[in-house]
Amino acid sequence: MPATVVIVRGRGVRPRGGDVAAPVLGRMYERGLSLLAGQAGAAESLRTMFAPSDRIGIKINAIAGRELTTGPAVALPFARLFGRLGIADRDVVLWDRTNRELRAAGYSLNAAGSGFRVLGTDTAGLGYEDEPLAHRGIASRFSAVLTSLVTASVSFAILKDHGLAGVTAGMKNYFGAIHNPNKYHDDRCDPAVAEVFDAPPVRTRHRLTILDALVVQCHRGPSYHAAWAEPLETLVFGTDPVAVDAVGLRIVERLRKAKGLPTLEEDGRPASYIRTAEALGLGRAAEADIRVLEDDV
Amino acid sequence: MDARRPLTGMNRRRFLRTAAGTGAALASGPAALFQNLYAFQATANLSHVEARYYRKLPDREIECQLCPRKCRLGDKERGYCGVRENDGGRYYTLVYGKACTRAVDPIEKKPFFHVLPGTAALSVATAGCNVSCKFCQNWEISQSRPEQVTHVDFPPRDVAAAAEANRCPSIAFTYSEPTVFYEYMFDTAVEAGRRGVRSLVVSGGHINPEPLEALTKVVDAIKIDLKAFTPEFYKTWVKGDLAPVLEAIKLIARRKTWLEIVYLVIPTLNDDPDDVRRMVRWILKEVGPAVPLHFTRFMPMYLVKNLPPTPISTLRALRKIALEEGLAYVYTGNIPGDEGENTWCPSCKTLLIRRNGFAIEANAIKGGMCPSCRTPVPGIWA
Repeated sequence: MPATVVIVRGRGVRPRGGDVAAPVLGRMYERGLSLLAGQAGAAESLRTMFAPSDRIGIKINAIAGRELTTGPAVALPFARLFGRLGIADRDVVLWDRTNRELRAAGYSLNAAGSGFRVLGTDTAGLGYEDEPLAHRGIASRFSAVLTSLVTASVSFAILKDHGLAGVTAGMKNYFGAIHNPNKYHDDRCDPAVAEVFDAPPVRTRHRLTILDALVVQCHRGPSYHAAWAEPLETLVFGTDPVAVDAVGLRIVERLRKAKGLPTLEEDGRPASYIRTAEALGLGRAAEADIRVLEDDV
Repeated sequence: MDARRPLTGMNRRRFLRTAAGTGAALASGPAALFQNLYAFQATANLSHVEARYYRKLPDREIECQLCPRKCRLGDKERGYCGVRENDGGRYYTLVYGKACTRAVDPIEKKPFFHVLPGTAALSVATAGCNVSCKFCQNWEISQSRPEQVTHVDFPPRDVAAAAEANRCPSIAFTYSEPTVFYEYMFDTAVEAGRRGVRSLVVSGGHINPEPLEALTKVVDAIKIDLKAFTPEFYKTWVKGDLAPVLEAIKLIARRKTWLEIVYLVIPTLNDDPDDVRRMVRWILKEVGPAVPLHFTRFMPMYLVKNLPPTPISTLRALRKIALEEGLAYVYTGNIPGDEGENTWCPSCKTLLIRRNGFAIEANAIKGGMCPSCRTPVPGIWA
């Protein structure tokens, strides 16, 4: 049975340089999640993936600053959906590596107050696990946000070109859950991306990937360069982490082709970690094994 | 919020483990100056000092030229070491003057056996390393980013002043990998030199020739951890390369900087006598017979806990090979009281320095020579 990946375009969701249009974004979540799970609405769909007793971690990628981060105007409406499952706001955590990066991306930190928690792993009292977890070729201390605070995880990742890995999407987002991602960029992050995802703290919690492709950096990523930042006004949804990334890769390649850029393979940086993840049994990467559903709202 | 731990962070187990690994909280010696500092709390005051060895590339990218990795980084990315960051197309060290460990150690602990025996070295480290040894003794700091360890502001001038105040004739850049805090080390060595304090480097030798050449002009001694003599070992267990380390050793040997070499012997991984013999012959050819070579004992650590400590017989056997091949000063390490800790005159076999662990029990060297036959003993003795 093929994996399902949903691509939803929201015309006008984020006019270039403008604010996010909340009604359009809301319809994108409703449509995308409904198509993904074959349910009538977003809440019903999320209910197939999460239990009311879950504590939800929404892993943001805030490294590239305000221009190229899933900001609060995009992430918070998604977080609110969990209220419809009976999950209290305080049991939904939007997080990344550092409070500094989250603040720079426009988030108001909230580690202990009411409402959604918004915090970095470097929040006092959290940090990383004491001991490194050796798993396949990696040895890392995992974020206590992942290992202690949450029971289920969403990778809400920015889709973008990556100068070493080819692309960075849902699986590589979890590099932000380990204390030493700098050690795993050799060999185009292959097999490290797959191995970090395969490690129990991630694999046992991950339920859903959402790729923020509202603006896609298709070249010179992962940092922001306006010349290659394409306003695609798209979100990509999937429960198969490999399939979502494979589709994300195709989106980036398509944008690169439209701009006359070489393929990532030709550029010497194929995103080979996606195939490696498939080989580890983490999901489907081949086009024939992925059913892509597309819609506009 | 469900705080996992007290906000003060460090539990006793973690403190003891870390202190044991770094030699901090020295119980004896001139001054148990500092405790090791390690916590999960972030400290945001990283340095923002421009790095010295890198080149700018288009589109705000840079290429680091400090070590053989030559990390190519986009804006906001860090190098493999985790302590250098591209910020808007300029490359910065985040650990300049940010010591995460500082302690007063016996110089024998480094180990330097031919440098000011019996003295103390003010030892300094920052977070970070440019390799990833699976058997690292100090992984808590070497394999961490600077935000992940607690550090203190300890600028070069203060380091030099602290060495003087604590009667340390030398400063050792050690514990993690000094290459990654190159600018801090370099400026501290310059400051120390002005005050007559010597500078010692304890390094894995993964550094490019140009910065190493410059470094040899301001430091007095360098100890290189030669971790094996096969590229395969470096690839698998170190995540590095052997060739640049050998080049670094050759470069140091050509300079006046004092050099010692340490070889941590890990059972079954790098204890092949034939490999060691090849290494010794290479040292003889490229460096000469006078360089001290230390075979030190491995203890299970970090990601290599499934192997036993190195048998003492193995260390003695490898020392015997090196002596047979013609090296003059070959030592065993981490075996307190072993005969291989002592320094003997290679000419008349007089016992010159008797050691017991890090302690000097007797030192007969006079004026840098054997008192019996007047054979010069290379090193820094005063």
